[in-house]
Amino acid sequence: MKNSISSILTLFLLLLAFCKPAMAQDMDGEILPSESKFKDPKTRLWINTYGNIRISKRLFWVAQTHFRFEETEATPFIGQVGQIYNRHAIGYIYNKKINAALGGVVRINFNTDESSTDRNVVPEFRIWHQYQFAQPLYSAMIYHRIRIEHRWTQGFEENSDYIFRNRWRYMFRAKIPLNNDKLAPKTLYISPESELIMQSGKTVVGSVMEDLRLTTTLGYILTPRLTVAGGLMYSQGQTLENAGEFKQNWTLRFHVYFSPDFRKVKNKLPSIHLND
Amino acid sequence: MYLTYPSLNKLIYGVLFLVFFCHETTAQENLHYKGPLTVGKYKGDADYGYKLIEGDTVLNGSFNLKKANLDSLLKKQDYSFDFAGNFQNNYPTGYWKFQFGEFQSNNQSQVIDYQYRVAINGVQEKTSGKIVKGKPNGSWTYTVSKIEDSKVSQTLFKSSIDFNNGVPQKSFRVENDSLILAGRFLRNGLAHDEWSLYDSFGTGASENWIFSNGLLNQIQTEIDGDSKNETIYGTFSGTTKTINLDEKYIKAIAIYQFANSGFDNTVGGKMQQLLAQNAAYYKKIDDILSELGESSFLPEFKVKVPYFQLTEEEQQQLVLISENYEAANAISTSFLADTQLNILKLSDNNAAFQYEIIKKIAEDFLKPIGKLLGYNDQDIIEFAPRQQLIQKLWSSGKPSATIDVVIVSDTTNNTNRSFSLDTKEEFDFSNNDLGSLVQLSLYARESLSSIKNKLEERLTNEKRQQELVSIEEKLIAKQKELHIRIDSSANNSPSSIKKALNILKEHSDEALSSYSSLSKIESKLIKAKELSSCYDQLNVLAENIIKLPEQEETIKIKYQDRIWNPFMATLMDEEVKKRITSAYRKVLVPYFLTHAQEEFKCKDAKALNVLMKDTYQRMLELRVENTSKLERKLRKETDPLKVIALFGLQPIKKEQ
Repeated sequence: MKNSISSILTLFLLLLAFCKPAMAQDMDGEILPSESKFKDPKTRLWINTYGNIRISKRLFWVAQTHFRFEETEATPFIGQVGQIYNRHAIGYIYNKKINAALGGVVRINFNTDESSTDRNVVPEFRIWHQYQFAQPLYSAMIYHRIRIEHRWTQGFEENSDYIFRNRWRYMFRAKIPLNNDKLAPKTLYISPESELIMQSGKTVVGSVMEDLRLTTTLGYILTPRLTVAGGLMYSQGQTLENAGEFKQNWTLRFHVYFSPDFRKVKNKLPSIHLND
Repeated sequence: MYLTYPSLNKLIYGVLFLVFFCHETTAQENLHYKGPLTVGKYKGDADYGYKLIEGDTVLNGSFNLKKANLDSLLKKQDYSFDFAGNFQNNYPTGYWKFQFGEFQSNNQSQVIDYQYRVAINGVQEKTSGKIVKGKPNGSWTYTVSKIEDSKVSQTLFKSSIDFNNGVPQKSFRVENDSLILAGRFLRNGLAHDEWSLYDSFGTGASENWIFSNGLLNQIQTEIDGDSKNETIYGTFSGTTKTINLDEKYIKAIAIYQFANSGFDNTVGGKMQQLLAQNAAYYKKIDDILSELGESSFLPEFKVKVPYFQLTEEEQQQLVLISENYEAANAISTSFLADTQLNILKLSDNNAAFQYEIIKKIAEDFLKPIGKLLGYNDQDIIEFAPRQQLIQKLWSSGKPSATIDVVIVSDTTNNTNRSFSLDTKEEFDFSNNDLGSLVQLSLYARESLSSIKNKLEERLTNEKRQQELVSIEEKLIAKQKELHIRIDSSANNSPSSIKKALNILKEHSDEALSSYSSLSKIESKLIKAKELSSCYDQLNVLAENIIKLPEQEETIKIKYQDRIWNPFMATLMDEEVKKRITSAYRKVLVPYFLTHAQEEFKCKDAKALNVLMKDTYQRMLELRVENTSKLERKLRKETDPLKVIALFGLQPIKKEQ
């Protein structure tokens, strides 16, 4: 009996010994607050261009450039450039409703902290792949997008190391024509969307929900090859530093979608009637 | 005796010469042919002798051509024949035999001794006799028999004639299944004495023709015991002509009878028929012999007829009469059949009067002349005394130069009116000679010509008036059609089209009102015809304009591509070749509409119709053609004429 009590005690001590370093480390970083803290929302302005350039019957080149502005103290609303995105990929058209893409991103991050004395500009690299599924629903279309990004980032501090993270993104979006019974040229449509961005990686401790974006945009299809849209997004997510802290953003978004096709006419015909 | 060398040489030459000479003469004298031969419609096996003179075959010696086909006899029927005789230097000479058969078998056969025998039914013709130099000589009998069960059941025709060198002699007898004719000839072949014709069938009537020295004096007929004498030439003592007893002779009798009695009464028809039947059989033989060699096998039964020869002057007069008659007859026939005149005469007294005159001239002047000319055409005018003939043609006397007619009217009293030429004093046609008839025919011709001149103008005007009425009716119908077409679709059309259509309507109304202000009938007729075809074009133009929106829609749909939008994952329609469609929509269609509204010109309407039709067609074609160059050139092009040229279309020609 005495033996068994001592062995349980030993086991408990062992467990304590193992746990201690971890607790000690936690003690080094931020301490989780007793309840979640929400930072004041920031305002942002995104101007995004999306290009899908057809290069063959099944392949297209994804070329996106995004300009993201953030409010600063000097310029409260539009603010200054926060990031410039250059996102490229090669897309594969499986059929009219399903496509996938694989490519890379070079993002230029600008230091928007006016008080900072660190570097003003740092690059960020990503490899990304995404899978998109479309479904017609009455006159509308709904879309599911799964995007996985492998991301290398670094801070603005001199000689800071790259940290590696994975991002897991799922977006649900609908496009509902307003003045037509289908999505066609000269049609105004409304598009509600929500995207959940999760992250993982050694440096991600607790802050798995990087961002939750709720957006509504109003778009107009000018031609089959050109569409413009604009909308408002609310987003929130855990900060990397402390899982108990949430950042919030209100973002105005303006998008231009273009899809030129430089193939010769004879290669175009019979166009994209892939499997219909 | 020794022959010297040179004399031996001469002897050998002499022998060789003799041999050669003899060979030549025998070759010319005797050749023989045995094999197939076709003579006219007869194709059979021949066996004959001949000689060659200067490359020509000259028949000489025995001749035989025959055919009998058992196969075809048993199957259906067989046409057999067998000709046998002799030729001498291409002339049939000596005893000849001809046989023709048309047989069917009765399908019963029997074996007798060592032969199969098949009984036959059908008709057999056979004749035989002597021929001298291609002419029958001696007694010839031609028999046509009906064969039943290989036996003669009835004689269908039989003629027995004695010939002397082709000329019938002594007595003859010809019969068929209903008539028997028997008679005599003089040595020179002229009919003589009594020729008797019995009708062995039915009534048993008989006809006796009494000839004396070829001249037919009278015909005695006996029907049911009643006998009747009809004098034909009686004891005519004037000039006569010897002719063959054939159809022409019968006509000669008829014209002579007419000149005497004034009645058309044909006699001798039956006798002539029988003789014609005989002649046909003889001709059959003659055809065969003539085909082979030289022959004149036709029997010539000769008779005499009174002969009143035409003088040269009379012949010329007949030509004149004929010319006048043709001209006059052409006028009268065309007017009497003219529907216009036939209608007009009901309402117009003058026209009725002229119609009646034409009718009267046709009846009183032209009809008898026509009959006389008919005799001339048949070549028998010389077989009747001229004066009597002319007198009988106008049995109630010659018509007067003043022609009286009665115009019958339903509404008013009948009126008498008369017609004469101003020059009537110059005409005299009271005599019964051809000279008078020249005058008479000329008077008829001139009278008709003068009436024609008066009537023609009248009728042309009438015709024009009627034509105009019918064209105007059509014109109004077309105008109405245009209005209905435009009114029924203008309201649903875009305003530019509606405007063009309404202006089109106004233009057409203006044209009609300017037409109605014309007064002269000729110019009215021309304008009406013009306007009528113009309205056709306007109707087409209106239709083309009405169709424009529909065509634009068709073009719009045609110039669309299905495009896949990757952001929407949706297929979308995209307009392609926009420069072409926009040139059509923004340049050509407005040009068409402007042009249609411009000054009213029919020629233009037609050209515009063609251009509009072609343009639409071209638009459909351009969709599939490679047009990159054309699209480049169309950039900012707003001149319709240049666009038309770039599209490769024919522009509307400016009026000279």
